[in-house]
Amino acid sequence: MSILRKQRKANREEDDPDMVPVMNLFLVLIPFLLMSASFYHLKAINTSVPVLSQQSEDMEEEAKKEIKLTVIVEIKEKQIDVSALSGEVGVELLKGLERTIDRKGSDEQTMKALSDCLEKIKSGFPASDTVIIIPEEDVVYETIIQTMDVARYYNESPLFPKVVLSGKVG
Amino acid sequence: MALGRRNKRNRQFVPPKLQLTSMMDMFTIILIFLLVSFSDKPETMNLEKNLELPVSDAKLDYNDNIKLVLSRDSLYLGDERIAGIQDGKIEGLNPTRLEDSVLYKELMAYHKEEIDGDPKADKEVSILFLCDKRLSFKTVNSIIKTAGMAGYPNFQFGVLKK
Repeated sequence: MSILRKQRKANREEDDPDMVPVMNLFLVLIPFLLMSASFYHLKAINTSVPVLSQQSEDMEEEAKKEIKLTVIVEIKEKQIDVSALSGEVGVELLKGLERTIDRKGSDEQTMKALSDCLEKIKSGFPASDTVIIIPEEDVVYETIIQTMDVARYYNESPLFPKVVLSGKVG
Repeated sequence: MALGRRNKRNRQFVPPKLQLTSMMDMFTIILIFLLVSFSDKPETMNLEKNLELPVSDAKLDYNDNIKLVLSRDSLYLGDERIAGIQDGKIEGLNPTRLEDSVLYKELMAYHKEEIDGDPKADKEVSILFLCDKRLSFKTVNSIIKTAGMAGYPNFQFGVLKK
């Protein structure tokens, strides 16, 4: 009986894998990974402020090829106004693109409505790539970033990747 | 008695065995966590304690440009604090005379030194702008307007990845 027990014990000891090399490997890997770990991921959104410039001849030529709209998103306290500007489209057509989105619901609902509205404009004028965001003075920075996200992409496909941030003039 | 002593002597010394299983578990968890947060470009930027960046879908990496940090109580250019902020108003920055502000002067000096002085320098350099998400557009606008006037109309808004 005791011989059997001894054999069983010996077998069990042999079955135990030697973990020391694995531990050594972990001890090497952990400092390396700690050095290259990043606990926050900083990304960037390209944007610009409006500047006075003279339109070059090349740009004029390009503009003639395809109709480009510049979409304007005005963020107000209670609503978001969407409109468009273009020298190549009639005033009536531009008026038809104007929308007002209520901000009474949650931020998510508002942004969804804005996203759908911008997608409609983009599908009508696919060459358009610029949006001007005009927030009111009291609008917080976080809302501006949310609006930029919505204006730049719609379900991973680009809408208006060129974002211009501007204060209301006049 | 003598038999017992012999038995004791004959008993071989068995080195104590370390219980590594729990340590292995711990290391495995740490390893997985570190693998998830692994980055080929670890952030070396020191962010201010009271700076809460907005979260965004943006996937673009920022460039190592001029860094402008706007927290709830201070404005930094690079790592240097250049103005304080009280109730959303930047000290020493008059909205009607932006060109008198320290920020404008510092940016102009940098422009002259680094961009005008070096013909190879990128003329379209953009500012990496890190701003607290709770600040109003009024405060943000005065800063971006000043930078625009100083010859930096392009910005990269720093955000946290979702």
